[in-house]
Amino acid sequence: MGLLQELRTALQVRLTASATPGQVPGGPSLAYVLGAVVTFFLVLSAVTGLALSFFYAPSVTDAWASVAYLEDQVTWGWLVRGLHLHGASALVIACGLHLAQTAWLGAYRRPRELTWFAGLGLMLLVLGFTITGFVLRWDQAGYWASKVEVGIAAATPVVGDLVQKLAQGGNDYGNLTLTRFHALHVGLLPALTLGLVGAHVWLARRHGVTPRRRQGAGASPWWPAQTVRNLVAVALAFAALLAVVVSTGGAGLEAPADPTAAYDARPLWYFRWLFLLRKLMGPWETVAALIIPGLVLGFLVAMPLLDRTPAQGQGSPRRRRLVLATFFALCAGITALTAASLARDAGDAEHGKQVAKAEAQATRARRLARTYGVPPAGGLAVYQTVPMWRGRALWETQCKDCHQGKDRKGPLIEAGYGSRAWIARFFADPGGDEFYGRNKVAKSEGAMKPVELTGEPLAEMVELVYAESGAADADRGRAQKALPAFEEQCSDCHSREEGVSSSGPALARRGSLDHLVQFIGNPTAPIHLGEAAEMPRFDKDLSMVDREALAQYLLWLRTATAADVAGLEPL
Amino acid sequence: MSDDSGSDRRAMLRLTACALGGGIAAAVGVPVVRMLADPASKITVTGPSAPIDLGPLDRLKIGADPVSVPVVAKEIRDGWNAVQQVVLGSAYLTRTSAGDCTALSSVCPHLACTIGWDPGKRHYVCPCHESLFDPSGERVTGPSERGLDPLPVTIKDGRIYLTWTRYRMGGSKREPV
Repeated sequence: MGLLQELRTALQVRLTASATPGQVPGGPSLAYVLGAVVTFFLVLSAVTGLALSFFYAPSVTDAWASVAYLEDQVTWGWLVRGLHLHGASALVIACGLHLAQTAWLGAYRRPRELTWFAGLGLMLLVLGFTITGFVLRWDQAGYWASKVEVGIAAATPVVGDLVQKLAQGGNDYGNLTLTRFHALHVGLLPALTLGLVGAHVWLARRHGVTPRRRQGAGASPWWPAQTVRNLVAVALAFAALLAVVVSTGGAGLEAPADPTAAYDARPLWYFRWLFLLRKLMGPWETVAALIIPGLVLGFLVAMPLLDRTPAQGQGSPRRRRLVLATFFALCAGITALTAASLARDAGDAEHGKQVAKAEAQATRARRLARTYGVPPAGGLAVYQTVPMWRGRALWETQCKDCHQGKDRKGPLIEAGYGSRAWIARFFADPGGDEFYGRNKVAKSEGAMKPVELTGEPLAEMVELVYAESGAADADRGRAQKALPAFEEQCSDCHSREEGVSSSGPALARRGSLDHLVQFIGNPTAPIHLGEAAEMPRFDKDLSMVDREALAQYLLWLRTATAADVAGLEPL
Repeated sequence: MSDDSGSDRRAMLRLTACALGGGIAAAVGVPVVRMLADPASKITVTGPSAPIDLGPLDRLKIGADPVSVPVVAKEIRDGWNAVQQVVLGSAYLTRTSAGDCTALSSVCPHLACTIGWDPGKRHYVCPCHESLFDPSGERVTGPSERGLDPLPVTIKDGRIYLTWTRYRMGGSKREPV
């Protein structure tokens, strides 16, 4: 009973009003504005956050795409998002200043301990918001920073594994991670914050501002003199925030999260001190990551217990030397570590290169998303929206080694492949290096001999072969004129009748899409190269759709120039 | 300080507070509202405006039953997504002459159920409320107030191209949505 009684008395002291509500003791002052600034940034986060949620979709496939859409295609989307992200930074700074001022004035002491605890709780919630918010964009920066943070939590003894699985919603980062962090960020944390802000403000109003040491007697009403001061401070803080948002171009967005791509992850700047501390501690990184922040928080919570000097009258900082010295030493340490971490990165050429690379990739991914839209497969699929992506990607992995470069084993394939000029060059020297020169067939008995035609008859023969491709610009009249010469010189080895093989490759529909698809599928078919083919068949490895994509690329090459190829969007 | 100048000062402060408060609220509110209103002035979901290739005309025989074919759009943009090969619905095709055919939307004009073709009785029937339509799409009986909605078709190089159109559900008048 005695303990309960004590507790009740203690609470009574803390909850009973010790100031006249709505009055500022000693008159209005700019010293009392920080609480209002913090409140403003909290409201700003809520308003902009609610607005962002009108556009955001929390799933692995949609998160990045929806943020990229908001950022690049919605009017002033970048501005509102910038206010949300940089506003969070402003909130952290304002909280820090508010905390420091409260510490300096000794306002954490009796009877204001509960206000102080609520404030510390709010600060933790703010940090919780930034941690849960950073991953929602599902870009490289947010994804990797979050992975590291959850990894740190996973290093907690005993419960680490469970914490990790609970945080990421299963065994790895995925859809359930996003829905979880999203629910925390827009549901649970705001509810808790609302409650704590209510308690904090209610208590702060009950006890009034902590009187400054040198202040006039009497009190004056809060409204409007103090309100104007608060609003001036808020306006100035907001103007500064707006300047930062506009000058940085907003919150920025990296390339879509890629779990397979290495990324030089960095935390948000207010966790930089812990980031550097972890690096400096080497094998003791668990100490840096878990124990040190725990000690810092523990000290802050304990401050009202450590410092029992009376709040009224003799609260001079000199009498609270030890507590204040510790507090400001911690502040200085955190600031110094933050600055050192930023300075390190600024001086790190290798990191600079990584950042530049990531920026280039981000620019590209966002341009593709803007131009072609993001496929439903998700952010990473944005790279596959590049025209002819599939065909070109297959070309790079399946074909290029044998058909390009000085070590190639087969005929050269590049811009102009299958064009009239290409056919004419082939006629002049089928066994040349560009064509079958590197294949056994060129040295065999059945090797094709150069076509002995010149001038118009040669052009007609070129047209005859070219027209087989079905090209829209083929001159069929001109091609027909080559028929007698074809019968005389070519038809022994080359059939022109569809479906009919010959000792040499059949020419019916040669160079058309269907022909290319079939040829790629099985060059050893009698209708193509037959036994002489050295190229493997691809009909088992590549689907019909894949082969058609490849064939489309080859068709594109026919009319392309080297400059066109060089100008293609990189894969 | 006289009472007058004191109340003047307070009035001044009140005005300043309101102006500052209003200014800050506007500075936050205007970008937010502008952003929220952005989709209202945009085509966020694209319909396929280009005619859709439904294959060769020769797949249809004169005098044969209508054929239901899926209508697949090459690409639909929806907000941030670009979705390829989207099935929009289906259409019933009937060959009317050597060089032409007609297409009927398979969406019942009554309450948008998907209608079917009864080959025995040679009419279209809606499974939901049993509206009946003759082979040309004219309403025979049932709750539907109009016949089946025709879809514009053009024939080019022997292939059928259909322009996908949706009509307002219900009513005797045909209004595109």
